[in-house]
Amino acid sequence: MEHILEVKNLHVSFDTFAGEVQAVRGVDIKLNKGETLAIVGESGSGKSVTSKSIMRLIPNPPGRITEGQILFQGKDLAKYSERQMQQVRGSEISMIFQDPMTSLNPTMTVGKQIMEGLRIHQKMSKSQATARAIELLKLVGIPNAEARLKQYPHQFSGGMRQRVVIAIALACNPKILIADEPTTALDVTIQAQILELMKDLQDKTGTAIILITHDLGVVANAAQRVAVMYGGQIVETGTVDEIFYKPKHPYTWGLLASMPKLGASDTDLIAIPGSPPDLSDPPKGCPFAARCPHAMKVCVDHMPDHTEVSGSHKAACWLLDERAPKVEKPVEASVGGAR
Amino acid sequence: MATREKLVEVKNLKKYFNMGKGQMLKAVDDVSFDIYKGETLGLVGESGCGKSTTGRTIIRLYGATDGSVTFNGEDVHGKKNKAKLKEFNRKMQMIFQDPYASLNPRMTVKDIIAEGIDIHGLAKTKEERLQRVHELLETVGLNKEHANRYPHEFSGGQRQRIGIARALAVDPDFIIADEPISALDVSIQAQVVNLLQKLQRERGLTYLFIAHDLSMVKHISDRVGVMYLGNLVELTESDTLYNEPLHPYTQALLSAIPVPDPELERSRERIILEGDVPSPVSPPSGCRFRTRCPHAMDVCAKVAPKWQEAREGHYVACHLYDEELKEN
Amino acid sequence: MSKRENYVNDELFQPAQIDSHKSEKIAGPGLSFWQDAWIRLRKNKSAIVGCIILLVLTILAVFGPYMNEYSFSEQKLTRANLPAKVPVIEKLGIMDGTDDMGNDMYEMKGLEEGTYFWFGTDGLGRDLWTRVWQGTRISLYIALLAAAIDMVIGVAYGGISAYYGGRVDNVLQRIVEILVGIPNLVVVILMILVLDPGIISITVALTITGWIGMSRIVRGQILKLKGQEFVLASRTLGSSDNKIITKHLIPNVMGVIIINTMFTIPAAIFFEAFLSFIGLGLQPPIASLGTLIEEGYRNMQIFPHMMIYPSIIISLIMIAFNVVADGLRDALDPKMRE
Repeated sequence: MEHILEVKNLHVSFDTFAGEVQAVRGVDIKLNKGETLAIVGESGSGKSVTSKSIMRLIPNPPGRITEGQILFQGKDLAKYSERQMQQVRGSEISMIFQDPMTSLNPTMTVGKQIMEGLRIHQKMSKSQATARAIELLKLVGIPNAEARLKQYPHQFSGGMRQRVVIAIALACNPKILIADEPTTALDVTIQAQILELMKDLQDKTGTAIILITHDLGVVANAAQRVAVMYGGQIVETGTVDEIFYKPKHPYTWGLLASMPKLGASDTDLIAIPGSPPDLSDPPKGCPFAARCPHAMKVCVDHMPDHTEVSGSHKAACWLLDERAPKVEKPVEASVGGAR
Repeated sequence: MATREKLVEVKNLKKYFNMGKGQMLKAVDDVSFDIYKGETLGLVGESGCGKSTTGRTIIRLYGATDGSVTFNGEDVHGKKNKAKLKEFNRKMQMIFQDPYASLNPRMTVKDIIAEGIDIHGLAKTKEERLQRVHELLETVGLNKEHANRYPHEFSGGQRQRIGIARALAVDPDFIIADEPISALDVSIQAQVVNLLQKLQRERGLTYLFIAHDLSMVKHISDRVGVMYLGNLVELTESDTLYNEPLHPYTQALLSAIPVPDPELERSRERIILEGDVPSPVSPPSGCRFRTRCPHAMDVCAKVAPKWQEAREGHYVACHLYDEELKEN
Repeated sequence: MSKRENYVNDELFQPAQIDSHKSEKIAGPGLSFWQDAWIRLRKNKSAIVGCIILLVLTILAVFGPYMNEYSFSEQKLTRANLPAKVPVIEKLGIMDGTDDMGNDMYEMKGLEEGTYFWFGTDGLGRDLWTRVWQGTRISLYIALLAAAIDMVIGVAYGGISAYYGGRVDNVLQRIVEILVGIPNLVVVILMILVLDPGIISITVALTITGWIGMSRIVRGQILKLKGQEFVLASRTLGSSDNKIITKHLIPNVMGVIIINTMFTIPAAIFFEAFLSFIGLGLQPPIASLGTLIEEGYRNMQIFPHMMIYPSIIISLIMIAFNVVADGLRDALDPKMRE
């Protein structure tokens, strides 16, 4: 399959008062045309930094890409100048953020904000842009689009604002849409609306989506492939079914086991003990070793390679080495098994 | 069920906020429920439904506009002398949502946890105070060395545990947990929930657990109440609520929650609610959910549905379950 | 695979004993907010330089007038308008008692050998060195006064207004609005009608209006803080108002209070200098930096020394206070913490 985006060995660091924080440490991502890839991880796992790096939106200083390539249609975005990036942002790759309140300009009408990108990138005339903006608002399910165009963001509710944000992001038919926790700030019933909308739009436009989230439920709902991040690295990648039904990495097991199952009877949740590693002083070996119930001596000092489980499924864990003891996913962690 | 001892009784509780210009924000509007000794009552709802305000009014952080809260047979909002008030403060405690805002950044963990001990004079000497703090830190899974540190050095989950230790310091009977896990990561959420459950078993605590995450609330609670726009719409055992939700809002809420199970997600029929939650300043007439309800009838706009026991121990406020209405 | 086998042997695949609680260990010493701020301030070179300048100026203001035998009001027309002359430095060709024509003024006035006026003298023959430091004292007094007014009235007023809220807040804020409406200068002129122009009327004028900025900032901060969950937690534990104010609110606004005070000080100093300059401030023979600059400004083209020295001193004071305030803001501002 054709990769529309390929991130190779990405390293991103931030210089802080307390020293260098290595937020992303060697991330590889391949994004296929028209698919939804979810990047899951806890706060501080580097998932947001990764997505912002692809857009080159990491403020520099303090942040900088120290190593790696971001290949978009064969061209390395990591080497692009700010000028060149402006051509890419919004037209080839768009991004939607967590908080719809802050990602819209409160002093501009919604219509102007949608048309802004169209006029800059597609050099549309005013009437063309207006027509397209109305079309977009209808596409994202905002009724009465002609009148809504002249309204300001504060006249929209939270869910409607996120729809507007999506309309702006899709205005120039981008090839990739990066959605950074697009539903986290929304209520559950609104989240369901937005997720439905995103799936619907993908069917219509064929845009590839990178979905950044911490919610495994959202992943199961919306993604085709999943990358699990921990401690600035990707620890496991695979299709949704592989990650949810045949996970290979103990962190993925732990993550799945610590979620309550709506249908299951009440058993104690299996918590992952401890806290995530401090990335200003990252561990030498596997970042999860300190919290892993199956940690071996090798895990402490040596970084495991990405081992191929199947053609689409890879995990970075020493347990997959043939010399390691056979450890299976704990039974309690079986998802949906109780139903 | 009926023989169980009531610890907290909330009757027709109302809390309005004056927004100026004669506008009233009806954050909590006529809510009644009981909490039994030793149980966990969950309270769920979307943002702005009044669940946090309910919790804060029960613990006297807000005065009630109308209605009453009875704790251990005594009126919470009635006039009290200082000693009585202190006694009340000891018995009812709260855990807060934001682990970054709920600890004073200028105080050491030791002083934060010992605040209640100092106020209520629970330790006679400095050694005893320190001893108590160390015990509490251990109870919540932190160690003694953490006592002299400042909050900013801890992670979210650790801070939340410090907040729990602070509440436990005064030996309360009843703890209101106001979205204690919403700000935490998934793996850390489980740590905190397990800790709360362990403490309940060991100390016989009663919880009011407020959250917007129905799956977690269902997991920890014995009974769950669902709130919408200042009203309680349904209250029952948590399994019953999940298996046979009566109120259309509960049904929609349950179907909207994405489940970490891709196959199930693909096959699931979803009830997608139209539109957004209306403003609590000018709520719809009659039933407040009618503007988004797929089963709305004419009567819903005219009459507010009664809060009634539709089945045994299963309360709901919806005209669909109104026997009188069906007879007519 | 082969690369791995070089360093990974079978023995390493034994279960490791890792205490998962080790990952909860916190490295480094536990620093309080103030210790942390101090470390940050120490790293800020310009702030440290500012502190040193202020220290030196303070010492000179205290001891300067006693460092020679002249008093600040002793007039002698025979030694009027002398330029600066300092031992040792005079050999470098500057501050050697000559005017711009190169004439030794000290010789022309017939003063005996070994007479030195370090900053020269003014039109009435008064020693400028003594007068400049005398004036610096006034400026520092104003600085202390402004700080005290800010700290006491401003903080208390803003704090009470925000903490008790409602009616109290309403009344107090209306009063502030009225006070803000009256320009400072008008207050001073009104003061002069009642009192004589001088240090007392400046003090009173500052007391009436100087604290308003601080009270507003403190009010905003307290309003924000009192809804914070740690304050609510303290209330559910049964804390008294007193405890909440002293243990939770004041320590958390202290940083803002200090920063704001440091920024009001130079403004107050300048306000006094400005009043003195336009003749509404201190009256002769008392010297303040403002009056000295005003006197010097009249003879600026003939005797530049009269204006240069007090101007340098007041600039130094203002810059130093601003730089220190900037440094403190960087050190205390919680947004800088990661």
